[in-house]
Amino acid sequence: MTVLTHAFTPGPIVASGPVKLTLMAPVARFSLRLRAANIPAVSKAIGVDLATTVGARAANGTTETICLGPDEWLIIAKPDDTETLVKACADVYASATHSLTEVSAREVTVRIEGERAAELLTIGCPRDIDTIPVGGGCRTVIDGVTVVLWRDAEQSFRMDIWRSFALHVIDLLCTGCKEFAAE
Amino acid sequence: MSSFRVSGRGRVDHTQPIQFTFDGKKIKGFKGDTVASALLANGIHLMGRSFKYHRPRGAVTAGSEEPNALVGTRRGPGRFEPNTRATVQEIWDGLQVNSQNRYPSLSFDIGAINDKAYMLFSAGFYYKTFMWPKSFWDKVYEPFIRAAAGLGVSPTEPDPDHYASRYLHTDVLIIGAGPAGLAAAVSAARAGSRVTLVDENPEAGGSLLSEPSAMIEDMPAWDWVAKTLAELKELGVKVMTRTTAIGYYHQNMVGLCEKLTDHLASPDGETPRERMWRVRAKQVVLAQGALEKPLVFDGNDRPGVMLAGSAQTYLNRYGVRVGNKAVIVTSHDSAWYAAFDLADAGTTIAAIMDTRAEPNGDLVAEATKRGIRIMAGHTVTGTEGRLRIKSVRVNPITGSSVGAAEVIGCDCLLMSGGWTPSLHLFSHTKGTLKWDEERQTFLPDHKAEECEIAGAGRGLWGIEAVLNDGAEMGAAAVKSLGKTSKAASYAVANDRPGTGVSHKELPTDLDAGKARAFVDYQNDVTAKDLRLAVREGMRSIEHVKRYTTNGMATDQGKMSNINGLNIASDALGVPQPKVGLTTFRPPYTPTTFGAFCGYHKGSHFEVTRKTPIDSWAEENGAAYEPVSLWRRAWYFPKDGEDMHAAVSRECRATRASVGIFDASTLGKIEVVGPDAVEFMNRMYTNPWTKLAPGRARYGLLLGDDGFIRDDGVIGRLADDRFHVTTTTGGAARVLNMMEDYLQTEWPDLDVWLTSTTEQWATIALNGPNARKVLEPFVEGLDMSDEAFPHMSVAECRVGGFPARLFRISFTGEVGFEVNVPAHAGRALWEMLFEAGKKYDICPYGTETMHVLRAEKGYIIVGQDTDGTVTPHDAGLSWAIGKMKPDFVGKRGLARPDLVAEGRKQLIGLLTEDGKTKLEEGAQIVLDPNQPKPMKMVGHVTSSYHSDAAGRPIAMALLEDGFNRMGETIYIPMPDRVIKATVTGTVFFDPEGARLKL
Repeated sequence: MTVLTHAFTPGPIVASGPVKLTLMAPVARFSLRLRAANIPAVSKAIGVDLATTVGARAANGTTETICLGPDEWLIIAKPDDTETLVKACADVYASATHSLTEVSAREVTVRIEGERAAELLTIGCPRDIDTIPVGGGCRTVIDGVTVVLWRDAEQSFRMDIWRSFALHVIDLLCTGCKEFAAE
Repeated sequence: MSSFRVSGRGRVDHTQPIQFTFDGKKIKGFKGDTVASALLANGIHLMGRSFKYHRPRGAVTAGSEEPNALVGTRRGPGRFEPNTRATVQEIWDGLQVNSQNRYPSLSFDIGAINDKAYMLFSAGFYYKTFMWPKSFWDKVYEPFIRAAAGLGVSPTEPDPDHYASRYLHTDVLIIGAGPAGLAAAVSAARAGSRVTLVDENPEAGGSLLSEPSAMIEDMPAWDWVAKTLAELKELGVKVMTRTTAIGYYHQNMVGLCEKLTDHLASPDGETPRERMWRVRAKQVVLAQGALEKPLVFDGNDRPGVMLAGSAQTYLNRYGVRVGNKAVIVTSHDSAWYAAFDLADAGTTIAAIMDTRAEPNGDLVAEATKRGIRIMAGHTVTGTEGRLRIKSVRVNPITGSSVGAAEVIGCDCLLMSGGWTPSLHLFSHTKGTLKWDEERQTFLPDHKAEECEIAGAGRGLWGIEAVLNDGAEMGAAAVKSLGKTSKAASYAVANDRPGTGVSHKELPTDLDAGKARAFVDYQNDVTAKDLRLAVREGMRSIEHVKRYTTNGMATDQGKMSNINGLNIASDALGVPQPKVGLTTFRPPYTPTTFGAFCGYHKGSHFEVTRKTPIDSWAEENGAAYEPVSLWRRAWYFPKDGEDMHAAVSRECRATRASVGIFDASTLGKIEVVGPDAVEFMNRMYTNPWTKLAPGRARYGLLLGDDGFIRDDGVIGRLADDRFHVTTTTGGAARVLNMMEDYLQTEWPDLDVWLTSTTEQWATIALNGPNARKVLEPFVEGLDMSDEAFPHMSVAECRVGGFPARLFRISFTGEVGFEVNVPAHAGRALWEMLFEAGKKYDICPYGTETMHVLRAEKGYIIVGQDTDGTVTPHDAGLSWAIGKMKPDFVGKRGLARPDLVAEGRKQLIGLLTEDGKTKLEEGAQIVLDPNQPKPMKMVGHVTSSYHSDAAGRPIAMALLEDGFNRMGETIYIPMPDRVIKATVTGTVFFDPEGARLKL
């Protein structure tokens, strides 16, 4: 088990056992807000057909989106694509008003995977993990902290955690990993 | 092995002997024994002393409802638990068990003197006796009473164990794995539902474990249990043992406490001791069964007096005969079967006394076959024996008269007053109960949650009836989920159905006023106490309960409630439902604090938010203070400096040259959209329309009531984009308030809010040399006073990082706040610190920040305001856009009391001697010689030693303060009265000359 610090160096945190934890490399991250009427125009601008069901995701290559609310999406992209994305949105702003706010540094992301990954989440997440489909996600809480959870496979998740809460949440996940390993 | 252990009998493992200690004495048992069953196997009934009278007591039950056999258990340092129920605690090699509430020993206890004086200690005794003088209560009476009465001693060492918690979602949660629960689980699981089955015992089976002779579907009961559990496993049912459903909360949330290590000889250290499960179930099936009631008669608490069903459990589950010579006294058929099982195992049954004149003929025939003496229509009027029962006094009842007594020798007396459906969890849901006249008990009526009640829990009796009901209720539960399930039908041979009658205390030929007939064993409440409570005017069972403490012990009246109700109802002469039933509350059985805390202890007790620069502060010896969930660098002591010295130095250094401060915790909200400026105009008091992009302004936020809620500097980045800052503690609250208005009041506005608090690390540089330190790192910005004056904002690059640079000041010095992406915070801090060394740059913490701003009279919301302060009160009228048609709080500000003269207003205070620092929170009076209680006219909100002013300074909220400039006011302290002069709030550089470059 690697002791994580606020430097948030990407790499394995828990490398063995029934669940593995890895701190992922930074990505470009944007909060996108807009009204329903402007979804087609903004979808076209960013090159992803934004999903309109809360919890549903849509992606195009390395650009991923998740719908977090009726007027709210989170966009994940390669850091190199930041400028293109910002410009594309700015170009349609006049006709399709919206808010695009960069929050790349706001969160860190931890990968949770392994045979008991879904179960590990139950130590702190009050949601029914079974109801999050593979390829979906949600904004939820773990140990009282708001996070965004992406389910990439049956037993593989990404969790975006606000930076200052991250060590607390990851500490709990590590405790859970130890607990599982002892069983 | 002792003669009480029946070879080969029970579910204990006779090949695995286990040794533990009881009061230091070595005791042998088998794997699978509880402390109580192992002690009983060794002929030991005396296990504890009672709460009030210190009467000798033994186990009266075999389960979690046990009121008497409470012991202390120990597993090395820190692992001590008082009040453990001996009937539940499983034994392991080396377990240390100690009796409680006795001195010097269990068999000779000085406190038993209370028992001799029992006439003094009746209900209400404390209230009547220890009333006067009133002042004696805290110091004399209460400590004395607490020392004399009590259970175990609280642990004193920190608990080294850890505790866990999980959430669980399930379609059907079944509570109780007896026959009803097992059958319900089968029905629900066969329909393809997610099913969870929990039981507080170490193994599933419930009452079937005590009824091995029953044949279910032509299979011995125990084989049927094993077969059923195998099927449930096959069907994917989650079966949890040693797991107590402690509470049933709203919307089918049930709390479960799972015990993981208390039964293990050597836990691995990583496994938590207990785990709290928070379960959301679509349907709940309550299959909690029924609890046997004691009969109430003189001496019904003597060691050796036990519930008949429990004696049957000790025999059939643990292979332990509870005595060699038993007398049975019962009002229910079930105790007859216990007698037959014991007789067949070699215990002499001296007599079966049934309170009913004509017991069931089949039972009589069975007893006769075994040569057991039958005494129908009899009552018990007393027992003898000091530490263990040795005889029982019995009398025939003819009509309403009690006949001549006969004394029968015995070493145990097994009683049954019938069975009470276990309604605790149902009661938690606020489901209503109805009185069942025939069964003389309360049964579930209207349900408040999505649940079914199955089996003995709703008054059914007999294995076949209960199994079939469980199957039906399991099917009903899944039917509510839209699934179909056909309930199985079970045929049971050798079943033991039965009926009984319910009693108040049994009739006696002796003085009932002297009878020690216990209703609540754990709180030592007798029938006499209950009748006294009624005589003294208690009418509701709620009052009777509190006056006598009946049902208020840790067992929550599991055994005493119905007996207490019957007696109160008789004394009042009204039927039971008119007297009422007290409410059961969670937890069902005592639950450790550890289980409730779960993971939240030690370093994980609560979130500690840290900024990206926090690690630098830690490496550089910062002292910290908590600010909401954050920990912030408070000051940076050098070479043994105390806080005062460090803060003085930091203040001087900043005003003399340059200070560097981590302001990352400031809340930040990005307000974006075509209607951003309109939104800002409506939220904040200030006007925003004319604020040009690239400029910043102090913003003041009110509540509807017109009082100050928050403040902060707000920069306009573009026509449609604002960078809003809030106080550290107010960040989430302000965003919520803004979203609330936006979503509910102004959904038409095209504007959106995003929290960017953690996107940015914020570094503040203040002091005459701040620009010199910063300028070399800034790209793409002319930092001259003309191009970038005070109250400006720009997007540029600083130290190679994309930045939002503000020129603002919370110190009165030239100031900059650099925002860079959080991950770059520490790197930029180090660059600036390195470059600043030639200007003697000084890192400072929140205390210095507070002093520097106070010297300038800048307020801190939440310190100088308290939710009752208007902008005018705080001297901030200038921040109100008077031409604006509306803003949050505008109407509130026009309220008569808010525009009244003489409100408490924020002013400065200077102590007359120029040396005394006032205490924050100290009250202010106008005349120190007035009689007490004095009229307090305000209080000190901020107070510091100020290097810049060369003396202590303070701010205060003072009635009519603005009109008292120059007046003397007084601050009475415990040891003296301090004189101070009212002044303005700006103590340094009132012209603001230092803000210019």
